[in-house]
Amino acid sequence: MVSKKIRTQAVAAGIAVLALGLTACSSGDDKTADPGSTSSEGSSGGDAISVGFSQVGAESGWRAANTKSIQDTLTKDAGFDLKFSDAQQKQENQIQAIRSYIAQGVQYIAFSPVVETGWDAVLQEAKAANIPVILTDRAVDTADTSLYVTFIGSDFVEEGKRVGQWVSDNLGTEPINVVELQGTTGSAPAIDRKQGFEDATKDNANIKIIASQTGDFTRDGGKKVMEGFLQANPDIDVVYAHNDDMGLGAIEAIEAAGKKPGVDIKIVTIDGVKDGMTALADGKINYIVECNPLLGPDLAKIIKTLHDGGTVEPRIVTQDGAFDQEQAKAALPDRQY
Amino acid sequence: MTGLAQLTRHRLFWPIVALVVLLLASTLKSHSFLEVTVRDGHLYGAPIDILRRSSILLLVALGMTLVIATRGIDLSVGAVMAIAGAVTLTQIASSPDPGAVSTVAVAMLTGLAVCLVIGVFNGFLVAVLGIQPIIATLVIMTAGRGIAMLITGGQITTVTSAPYKTLASGFWLGLPVAALIAGVFFAVVALVTRRTALGVLIESVGINPTASRLAGVRARTIIWTVYVLCALFACIAGFLQSSNIMAADSNNAGLFIELDAILAVVIGGTSLAGGKFSLTGTLVGVLVITTLTLSITVIGIPVNAVSLFKALVVIVVCLLQSPVVQHKLRARRRQAAPVPVEVPA
Amino acid sequence: MATDEMTVKARKQPEPKLTGAVHRSRPTLDRRYLPVLGTVVVLVLMLIIGGSRYDNFLSGRVMANLLINNSFLIVVAVGMTFVILTGGIDLSVGAVLALSTCISAWMFVHGWPAYVAIPAAILAGALIGWAVGVMVHVFEIQPFIATLAAMFLARGLCYVIAPESIPITDPTIVKLGTRWDLGGGWAITPSGVIALAVVVVAFVTLHYTRFGRTVYAIGGGEQSARLMGLPVARTKVLVYVISGTCAGLGGLLFAAFSSSGYSLTGVGMELDAIAAVVIGGTLLTGGSGFVLGSVLGVLVLGLIQTIITFEGTLSSWWTKIVIGALLLVFVILQRLLVVRRR
Repeated sequence: MVSKKIRTQAVAAGIAVLALGLTACSSGDDKTADPGSTSSEGSSGGDAISVGFSQVGAESGWRAANTKSIQDTLTKDAGFDLKFSDAQQKQENQIQAIRSYIAQGVQYIAFSPVVETGWDAVLQEAKAANIPVILTDRAVDTADTSLYVTFIGSDFVEEGKRVGQWVSDNLGTEPINVVELQGTTGSAPAIDRKQGFEDATKDNANIKIIASQTGDFTRDGGKKVMEGFLQANPDIDVVYAHNDDMGLGAIEAIEAAGKKPGVDIKIVTIDGVKDGMTALADGKINYIVECNPLLGPDLAKIIKTLHDGGTVEPRIVTQDGAFDQEQAKAALPDRQY
Repeated sequence: MTGLAQLTRHRLFWPIVALVVLLLASTLKSHSFLEVTVRDGHLYGAPIDILRRSSILLLVALGMTLVIATRGIDLSVGAVMAIAGAVTLTQIASSPDPGAVSTVAVAMLTGLAVCLVIGVFNGFLVAVLGIQPIIATLVIMTAGRGIAMLITGGQITTVTSAPYKTLASGFWLGLPVAALIAGVFFAVVALVTRRTALGVLIESVGINPTASRLAGVRARTIIWTVYVLCALFACIAGFLQSSNIMAADSNNAGLFIELDAILAVVIGGTSLAGGKFSLTGTLVGVLVITTLTLSITVIGIPVNAVSLFKALVVIVVCLLQSPVVQHKLRARRRQAAPVPVEVPA
Repeated sequence: MATDEMTVKARKQPEPKLTGAVHRSRPTLDRRYLPVLGTVVVLVLMLIIGGSRYDNFLSGRVMANLLINNSFLIVVAVGMTFVILTGGIDLSVGAVLALSTCISAWMFVHGWPAYVAIPAAILAGALIGWAVGVMVHVFEIQPFIATLAAMFLARGLCYVIAPESIPITDPTIVKLGTRWDLGGGWAITPSGVIALAVVVVAFVTLHYTRFGRTVYAIGGGEQSARLMGLPVARTKVLVYVISGTCAGLGGLLFAAFSSSGYSLTGVGMELDAIAAVVIGGTLLTGGSGFVLGSVLGVLVLGLIQTIITFEGTLSSWWTKIVIGALLLVFVILQRLLVVRRR
């Protein structure tokens, strides 16, 4: 019983001490918690530009390449102090990260919004703190364009259009049945790429989209859905997959059904990751529109320009190439991702 | 009449009805749905696809059944699948001869060893430290996927290896190898749990852990064992999954499969409160879920309505299975029958 | 050993009542508070470590952000506490939260005023909660499965209502997110105030009303609660209604936080809520736990996220590993603290 009492009192005393220590610390740090100042300890040893970057997640190889590009370019040697956070594909995590960067007093904030809407409040806070914001890869849907300095990334609708145009020009000379493997339901790339393809092909009466399901941007999803398509529709001519991974899954399903991908059933995809380009060079895929993830160098250039007092275009569209089978064979050795 | 009454009283009746309805609906849309032909020397058709697809979920659900029977739950199975794929494929990819059977065998053994450690870890947290299973396995569910991604560096590791490919895509005696593997494990577990005392011991631990311990049952060992088994089965499911796409996709492998597995176990009649478990029930549950996924694509349900459709099927099956509805249906049948039927227990 | 302790305790102290208020002759700690105490200790430890390692960590702004950024999760966790106290579980809260944001966003876009859209969103949550309650109690479907089905249902409705994300510009919602500065970097938003109000209401309900006592009693043993004459049926359904309503309300707070209705929100949020409740000391078997503990649990999760952001160097996978590891350390520490007591 005595030990119980002592243990309780000891715990209570311990907490009191810790609490006191806490207030002492916080009152000391409060003075330095001024968000307007651009100094944060250690980072700006005069030269290093502090950048806070909030990434969507690591949901695909494309995203991993994007992250690697940014982390490899914005290094200490290059004069940057990069604070990187992964939002696990949750918007609330990104909002928290950006708020945290504002509180930490970084000089620039860059991020890839996981969803288009809902950023006004936190971007206002960044604006109030005089921290320029750069959008990478995905855009935000806001009426006030002064909330961000520039948006650098691919145009998803354009990507879908280019694929649709190629299909219309090269395959749409006779009636064809197209099945579509969509990306994650509700995500911007999926919605836009679907839209672009439909816009480009709606005037060609030969092209019929007979089925469209979501493969979640994954290889396994693409394979699963393709198997279902093959069971339900005996005459499939073309597969339009919103990304390479789903296309690669479709290849597996087509081969398992005893057909030849790229020959019996043509495949067109978007992204241009290494595995996809390899399949394209092997003749299993027919056309790929690139979606360049290597935004690191461009981001670094933009930040350096802004830091030196220059201005940048509000919309920078990354140069995306497009490849058919011959071009892929030539380009493959140089592919970085 | 009595025979039919007995049949409908069986708890698996409604899941099987759901299965039949889904198959019928798919056949209506695609007339060759249930056709099984021979192609390239093996069987081909939607039923074969279902068999092959079910193997992965069956293995996971098998382990999950045993864990649930001890009043536990294992949320980490998806992450374990990802780790299994990551470890094995990274090893195959970095070996000098990826196409050799020995390389594949060694890589798979390494994968099994890693998953064994995870199973021991989970079992330790639950059985020895007494941490609640949902939280204990949540740790690996979160950290495990990170570990898998660490191993593959966030990239999707692709390999070309013929022996490994046969795991998920190969055929033996005309049947899919994946289904055979799952079938063998199912048979082994069924035999061991029903022919030896293990099944009864697991059930007793689930029904009343304290009483079991007092009766001399080594509850701690049994609980530890089921978590290890669950991890090992998930590991093999991970092999099949990565073999299916010949790549280790650490981020997406086995994502949310734990929910499907738990759903399969519950549809099959095992209670989440622990105790009596039914392996056949789990098999039926797995088939229902796999068929549901395939039917959605075949019938062509619009993308935005898929989740709603799944919800409705699950709710209807669960409602019909519920004891209250069963009782009401029985009561109505008793009223209609001219001869008094046996009184239900 | 347990029986000796019990007889000694019975001689020394009067039996604690079923409410949270415990009367004693000597100031000793009720062992039911121990898990929560463990939470407090670890929370303080994390604050110390964070404060010493990073600049600006212990500032008012960061601490205020902790509350502001997590106000929706606090509300959801409070609702979840009610359900878990009765021994159940609610997997649908993430999807219901998303549904609430989608419904309100849709209604705003179609010209409905705030005083219709906001109650409608909360009502949707309550309705789904009621449906779950009926499934659990009347049809005797297990809570895990019933709420899993509700999750698919709510998520499915989201995809139908809002296939693309819908921005919210309604002034009422925007006002919910305005930041009121309190000086020294501290700030609060109306959402934060609402969250705190919900906590207070929940606390009073659980500890000072008959309904709250019934909730604890059901968790302790449903049969005995029924034999005692408590309104078990009504309470069981009501806790799910409460959880659904809290998820609906949380959705509105989230809509204020993110100013949009998005169908993919809240995926996995139910696990965050469950983790918060368990970290806060509530047992998943029911009958024991405190709402304030759940709030602390949410703060712990938020703190973990803050530390990771401040660290600034963790890649995606290390983030996951660190979250898992911190969760593990936490749970083990808490378990050891409780076990030592016995």
